[in-house]
Amino acid sequence: MTRITYIEPTGEARRVDVADGWSLMQAAITNSVDGIVGECGGSCACATCHCYVDEARLGDLPPPEPGELDMLENAAAERRPNSRLACQIKVSPALDGLVLRLPATQE
Amino acid sequence: MFSFDPYSPAIDADPFPYYQRLRDEFPCFWSPEAQMWVLSRYADIVGAGADWKTYSSASGNLMTELPNRAGATLGTTDPPRHDRLRALIQHAFMKRNLESLGEPIRAIARGAAEELRGERQFDFKDFSAKFTVRVLMAALGLPSGDEALVDEATVREKAVLMVQSDPHTRAKGPEHLAAYHWMQDYAARVIALRRAAPRNDLISNFAAAEIDGDKLDEREVLLTTTTLIMAGVESLGGFMMMFALNLADHADARRQCVANPALLADAIEESLRYNTSAQRFRRRLTRDVTLHGQTMREGDFVCLAYGSGNRDERQYPKADAYDITRKPRGHLGFGGGVHACLGTAIARLSVRIAFEEFHKLFPDYRRVHEQLPWMPSSTFRSPLVLDLAVQ
Repeated sequence: MTRITYIEPTGEARRVDVADGWSLMQAAITNSVDGIVGECGGSCACATCHCYVDEARLGDLPPPEPGELDMLENAAAERRPNSRLACQIKVSPALDGLVLRLPATQE
Repeated sequence: MFSFDPYSPAIDADPFPYYQRLRDEFPCFWSPEAQMWVLSRYADIVGAGADWKTYSSASGNLMTELPNRAGATLGTTDPPRHDRLRALIQHAFMKRNLESLGEPIRAIARGAAEELRGERQFDFKDFSAKFTVRVLMAALGLPSGDEALVDEATVREKAVLMVQSDPHTRAKGPEHLAAYHWMQDYAARVIALRRAAPRNDLISNFAAAEIDGDKLDEREVLLTTTTLIMAGVESLGGFMMMFALNLADHADARRQCVANPALLADAIEESLRYNTSAQRFRRRLTRDVTLHGQTMREGDFVCLAYGSGNRDERQYPKADAYDITRKPRGHLGFGGGVHACLGTAIARLSVRIAFEEFHKLFPDYRRVHEQLPWMPSSTFRSPLVLDLAVQ
């Protein structure tokens, strides 16, 4: 299990223990984190699992594929250098303690 | 001795008691009848869906696969090829790109409902089948009206037949294969038409698409188009039958949706959880996996029973209750992971509009028969006929 913290748009911090191999989107949905929608089910087709990754930890994540970068163009909230789609990030021990901030809107 | 035979008519009719025993007693179960393992708990299915390297789709994703299809469609390829193929198509299915279809879809729904005006009793399929085929023709740009190559009812009939299997031989029968070949021929004619005179529609664009400068393989173009038509017609039509059944059986939920159509969106999500038409898909292991004390071997097929994961009490309290206030996030009604349904947005949009319009003419209905004829399919589940009495 890897510890991930989601910070909801309200500022509420939600700490979740996630099984390795799950996506950060799926872990959020399964644990009722409200700031992630995941409308397309995890196929990188909707940009409703947009999140801002703690910048100090960006290097711990595999870099985004072209499909994710394209889809981020469709994010409802402001796109920033640390924007990622949670469905495209698989949890591994290297992410332990990661903090994700969730945007004010996903749709 | 417990058995789980996805070819059994009893499973077609009501898989849920079997799913319960699978989840509670046999969470990693070898089915000799299906010749595959069955995963039935929500967390196991999500985990497998996320791990496409281990749970490969490249040997086919339908429980009873159609010949020569695996490896040539979105659902039967793994990343990275899958992602490249999908990128060519999914743009057309994104929510914001479907907005222009809203009014045409509403007009189709209104027309299909009007054809039933005044009837006191009818098969809901008379509404859902017409609606579904017309919506799909509009969405994919299939030739329709004066240009139509085939009649609507035949498209629907063949799409429904090709996903079925024979309960006795546990394989596709000649009629199912004939329907599959009919659909391929139809797709080939549409592709040829659009190549000769391209339009700005999905099939024209897809038929001309390239990946890394290479044209797509002809088999990919043909079978992906065939699958889009099949999946669009059968899955959307099948789910509408299930949704109508749920609203017929749960009068309070229906009355709430009629009084406040905005609630339809929540009811649709609950029906996708409660009894999605896409009950089971399969994967094939690329390595040995040990789960719940069982070792599944490389090369073994594994069934992901989405319909069971959706009823898992470990994920959804009171999972067997139909509750439109539940808002079941993360349900598996569209599958999940990289292969999650391409058509989620158009399905949600179409079903909502269809029922908004249907309810304007038919706000109050119940089912006529307690026993329903269920489609013989190891993958999908929906009634073949749903007679409704209008009140």
